[in-house]
Amino acid sequence: MMSATASHVRVLLPSHHQRPSIATGSENFCRRQIVPRRFRAMVATTAAAKYKGTKMREEKLSELIVEKVKEATEVCEADERSEGCRVAWDEVEEVSQAKADLRIKLKLLNQDPLESFCQENPETDECLIYED
Amino acid sequence: MAVSTIYSTQALNSTHFLTSSPSSSSSKQVFLYRRQSQTNRRFNTIITCAAQQTIVIGLAADSGCGKSTFMRRLTSVFGGAAEPPRGGNPDSNTLISDTTTVICLDDYHSLDRTGRKEKGVTALDPRANDFDLMYEQVKALKSGVAVEKPIYNHVTGLLDAPELIQPPKILVIEGLHPMFDERVRDLLDFSIYLDISNEVKFAWKIQRDMAERGHSLESIKASIEARKPDFDAFIDPQKQYADAVIEVLPTQLIPDDNEGKVLRVRLIMKEGVKYFSPVYLFDEGSTISWIPCGRKLTCSYPGIKFNYEPDSYFDHEVSVLEMDGQFDRLDELIYVESHLSNLSTKFYGEVTQQMLKHADFPGSNNGTGLFQTIVGLKIRDLYEQLIASKATARAEAAKA
Repeated sequence: MMSATASHVRVLLPSHHQRPSIATGSENFCRRQIVPRRFRAMVATTAAAKYKGTKMREEKLSELIVEKVKEATEVCEADERSEGCRVAWDEVEEVSQAKADLRIKLKLLNQDPLESFCQENPETDECLIYED
Repeated sequence: MAVSTIYSTQALNSTHFLTSSPSSSSSKQVFLYRRQSQTNRRFNTIITCAAQQTIVIGLAADSGCGKSTFMRRLTSVFGGAAEPPRGGNPDSNTLISDTTTVICLDDYHSLDRTGRKEKGVTALDPRANDFDLMYEQVKALKSGVAVEKPIYNHVTGLLDAPELIQPPKILVIEGLHPMFDERVRDLLDFSIYLDISNEVKFAWKIQRDMAERGHSLESIKASIEARKPDFDAFIDPQKQYADAVIEVLPTQLIPDDNEGKVLRVRLIMKEGVKYFSPVYLFDEGSTISWIPCGRKLTCSYPGIKFNYEPDSYFDHEVSVLEMDGQFDRLDELIYVESHLSNLSTKFYGEVTQQMLKHADFPGSNNGTGLFQTIVGLKIRDLYEQLIASKATARAEAAKA
């Protein structure tokens, strides 16, 4: 499924490979992961989730996106100009952005966003180490 | 963090008494008066303990509160990395560094996701936001008082228990409505509006969402279209109040380009803003068109083009610095930096250094990264000037 759309996506990527390739000390960020510096937009997540809580959030948000898009399509079919239609697509935007923010956090921090929370609260359910 | 300034004149060996003056809430002053019987002059020893000054920056844009790139560049200029508060609610939207705290204005939603659905309002609608609380808390933080700020959880769509926010040196409020309410606007020391054109917004949202199952080109387009009326009515008008607008448009260097890879970015800077001196190219107030690529500098396609000119924006005088194209190599960046003036850098090459520090952030090779970095330096400059002027004012008040 995803590969069918992958060719779509490739055209529209920003040209990160054209950036100056100069040592910037970003190696300091790559403690845990060796993530290729090229931008990989086809993949939904870049750095991997370590804790159950983060994995759960990722899955929840992905499901929400599917659900809300479906809902919005249905509501707007009835009346495109209605408040309900606008609110429904706004919800789609909210969850899409939340999912993207999680991805950004994983990529930029290069660690699980729950890291500091789980240092303090290792016994909570959310802080179970996620194993693939 | 208290800074104490002690002005002492002579050894204190006669009677003196203390009074504390109820001065401005951001500083506490203790006056020691020493009576000297021999002469007519009175020597005052004033110990001034000023709580830190807090400056408030407003950042408006429509891409959630993970404007991580801009925020990270900004906090990096001040030193340190901004991180979510340690040990608190993991879904907090707040970012904290040594000097800067970034608050997401979604936390001031008065209606959660269910509430908005019931009332039929989008998050863009002012009716979904509590501006009274926003004003009270920003005012409190600005005057050095910690607040318990609500948390809007974007995963659950609910309002979580509040978190304690300490007053920082620099407070950034980012979100959809930083300049909507007049009272909040008056608290801002500097404001920025990120104005993304429709074509670029579409390209970015495709890049953001296409990998998600559930999304398609149609759904992405429909979402943008459906939000447009509220966006145009409530969010867009705020740009007239901004001290700096960063406008992101498709490039003009590539005919019929619709990929949104190469960008044309305009930095629109309001004239006459206190402590803010706009960046200029070659000759302030004139109109310049500059292509740095030539004999001294070789650039790859499509190259780089700069424009600088005075203009009028919503009846204000502004200066507009525009960059179209992409940086390819380090020397292009440093070359461009060496020709810009009023950058508020502390040393030659600081802009380039900051850009390189975050070379893997999006926008590092074009005007978005460049202007975000420059705005960061301008804010630092503004902060330092403000602190200096307040210190001078206190010293003068003390002498009087």
